[in-house]
Amino acid sequence: MLRIRNLCASIDGKQILRGLNLDVNAGEVHAIMGPNGSGKSTFAQVLAGRDIYGVTADDLSFEGRNLLEMPAELRARNGLFLAFQYPVEIPGVSNLYFLRSAVNAVRAHRGLPELDAVDCLSVARTHAQKLGLDDTMLKRSVNQGFSGGEKKRNEILQMMMLEPRLAILDESDSGLDIDALKIVADGINAMRHPERAIILVTHYQRLLNYIAPDRVHVLIGGSIVRSGTKELALELEQRGYSWLEQPAGVEA
Amino acid sequence: MSAVMTEQNIYATQFSEIAGRLPGRGLAWVDRLRKTAVERFLDLGLPTTRLEDWKFTNVAPIRRLTFRPVNQVNASIPEPLRSQLDLFPSPRLVFVDGLLDRKLSGLGFGTTPPFAKERANGTPPNLGGEFLGLHMAGLSDSLADPNQAAILESHLGRYAETSDRAFAAWNTGFFADGACVMISPGTILTHPVHLVFISTGAGEPRATYPRNLILAGERSQVAVAEVFLSASGGVYLTNAVTEIVAGAGATIDYYKMECESGDGFHVATVKATLDRDASLTSHSISFGAALARNDLRVALDGEGSQCTLNGLFVVDGQRLVDNHTEIDHRKPHATSRELYKGVLAGHAQGVFNGAIIVRKDAQKTDALQRSRNLLLSENAQINTKPQLEIRADDVRCAHGATIGQIDRESMFYLKSRGLDERAARQILIRGFAAEIIEGIRVSSIRQQSEIRLGEWFEGKLEAS
Repeated sequence: MLRIRNLCASIDGKQILRGLNLDVNAGEVHAIMGPNGSGKSTFAQVLAGRDIYGVTADDLSFEGRNLLEMPAELRARNGLFLAFQYPVEIPGVSNLYFLRSAVNAVRAHRGLPELDAVDCLSVARTHAQKLGLDDTMLKRSVNQGFSGGEKKRNEILQMMMLEPRLAILDESDSGLDIDALKIVADGINAMRHPERAIILVTHYQRLLNYIAPDRVHVLIGGSIVRSGTKELALELEQRGYSWLEQPAGVEA
Repeated sequence: MSAVMTEQNIYATQFSEIAGRLPGRGLAWVDRLRKTAVERFLDLGLPTTRLEDWKFTNVAPIRRLTFRPVNQVNASIPEPLRSQLDLFPSPRLVFVDGLLDRKLSGLGFGTTPPFAKERANGTPPNLGGEFLGLHMAGLSDSLADPNQAAILESHLGRYAETSDRAFAAWNTGFFADGACVMISPGTILTHPVHLVFISTGAGEPRATYPRNLILAGERSQVAVAEVFLSASGGVYLTNAVTEIVAGAGATIDYYKMECESGDGFHVATVKATLDRDASLTSHSISFGAALARNDLRVALDGEGSQCTLNGLFVVDGQRLVDNHTEIDHRKPHATSRELYKGVLAGHAQGVFNGAIIVRKDAQKTDALQRSRNLLLSENAQINTKPQLEIRADDVRCAHGATIGQIDRESMFYLKSRGLDERAARQILIRGFAAEIIEGIRVSSIRQQSEIRLGEWFEGKLEAS
C-alpha cells in the first residue's frame, strides 16, 4: 500500500530525513519509534503533504500513486489521514461543520452523495460517544478550548468519520492519562481492518501495550536503523535508544 | 481651491432651489436648523485628507461628482428586491431613494402588507399611530403633524454635531425624509424594527439624505435594524444621520447593515446618547459601496450605562471602508466593549479609528477595544488606530489591534482533511467573521450577513 525508497526531507537547508525506506501493506499496523528530534513528526507531516519541506525520493507511492505529485488535499481524498500531534484550533468554525466539510470533500472525490447535516450529526455522535467525548464538543469551535486529551480524541473522531485507507497517528498517545489512552487505543483498534493500514508514530512503548503492531521500526537521525516485531518495542523500553544510535551514525 | 468653490456653489444653489419644499418648511426651528447647517457645510466644504479624521479616506470621488437631490420617486422596485424585502418583516419603514414608501411600510408584525396583526393585539393603526408601545412614522410626515413636531423639536439635531462635520451638516440641511421611531417607557418590543433604505441608482448621480431618530423611553427594550440596499447598482450617494436616545435603563439593540452598490458612496453618522443604566449594543456590518465611511459616536451620559460596539467589514477590489468610532465616557461606572473585524482582499483599503474619551468625572470606567484584521492579499491595506484620551485616574482601559493573514498551519490542517485551497480559505474566513455574525440577535440581519458573505466568496461582489 505504501512504498518508500530513499525518502529525504529538509527544511531551511537542514536535512531531517535521510534516505528513509519503508513498506507498509494493507491490514498492517506499523510503529515508528525514535528519540526526540529523530524526524518522526517530519516523516508524518511529509507523508500527509506538508509543503514547507523540500522532499525527494526514489519512490514515494501510495496504492501505486506517486505522492510527490499530490497536494495534501488529494492525498486526504485518496484515503490518507494524519492525526496531528498538535491539532490546530480554528475559532468560529464548529467542529461538526468542519467534520461535515471534510467528510463531504472526501465523499465527493469517491463519487458518493453528500452526507447531510442530520446524518452527519448522528454518525459523529455515535463515534464521539465511543471516544467518551461530550456531545457539546461537536458544537464548539474546532479544538478551541479543548483539553489535550480532547484534542487527541477529536483527531481519532475525524479518522473514524473519514475512514481512511492509511492512517498515520503522530504521537496520539502523548499527554493522555491512562483512561484516555485506553479510549484512544480502543478507537484505533476498532479501525484495524484488512483493507486499512495504520502507522503509529510514538516516542514511548506504552501505546503498544494496547495496540499490538505487526512491525516496529526505529527512526534515528532521519532514517530507519532497525526494524523488528513488537518485541523490539519492549527491548527499546528497557534499553532506551542509545544502543542503536551508534550504528545510525555509521550507516549515514 | 477652485474645485472647492465650485462644489460649494453647486450645493448652495441646490439648497436655494429645494429649501422651499423640504419637510418642516415654515417651522421656525427647522428652518433655523437647516440654515445653520447648510452655512456650516458650505463653510467647511467636503473634508480633505489634510484633516486628521480623514487622513486615509479621500472623498475626491464624491467631490468630483455632482449629486442631485431626489424630489419624487419614479422608479419602481425591481422584483428580485421585492422578495428580498420579505427578509425584513414589519414593523418596518421602507424608503426608496430616501423617501418613505407607505405601501411597503407598516406598523404591524408580519411580512407582507397589510401586515398580519398579532393575535389578540388588535389591528395595527396606520403609520403615525401607536401599536403596542411603538410609534413609528416617516420624518416628513411627523414634521407635518404638530404634536409630533413638538416632540421632534427637542430632539432632532440636538445630538449629532455639525459644527466640524461636513457630511452631518450637509444631511441636516438637505434631509428629505427618514425614520422616526419612538418606544414608550417600559415597552418591551418583541419584534425588531426594520428600516430599509433602497437606492435605485438610475440615471444621473443622486444623493439621498436619510435622517433617523430613535427614541427609546425609560426601561424600554427594542431592536432596530437599518439596512441599506441597492436595487440596480449605479453611482449615488447615501449621506445618512441617525440619532439615538436611550432613556434611563433602556436597552437598544442597534444594527446597521450596509450593502450599497459597488459604485455607490455611503457616508453615515450615528450618534447615540445613553442615560443612566441604559445599554446599547451596536453591530455595524459593511459589505458594499465603493467608499463607505461609518461614524459611530456614543455618549455614555449616565452612570452605569454601557455599550458594546461590534463591527464587521468585508471589502475587496478597489473599495474602501472606514469605521470611525468614538465612545465618550462622561459619567462614572460606565462600561464599553468594542470589537471590529475587517476582511480585506484585492486592493481594498480599510480604516479603523477607535476613540475612547474618559472624562475627569468618569471614574471606574471600564473600556476595552479590539481591532482585528485579516488581509487576504498583499495589496490590501488596513490602517487601524486606537485614540485614547483619559482624564480620570481610576479607570480600566485596554486596547489591542492585530493584522494577520490566513494561518498556514490552519490551512494545512484543513487540506489534510481533504479540503482544497478555496474551501479551506472560506472556512477560515467564515470562522474569522463568525465572532461578529454569531453575536447578531436579529435573525434577518444574521441571515443577510451570511448570505452576503457567501456571495462574496462566489465573487459576486468582486469589483471588476
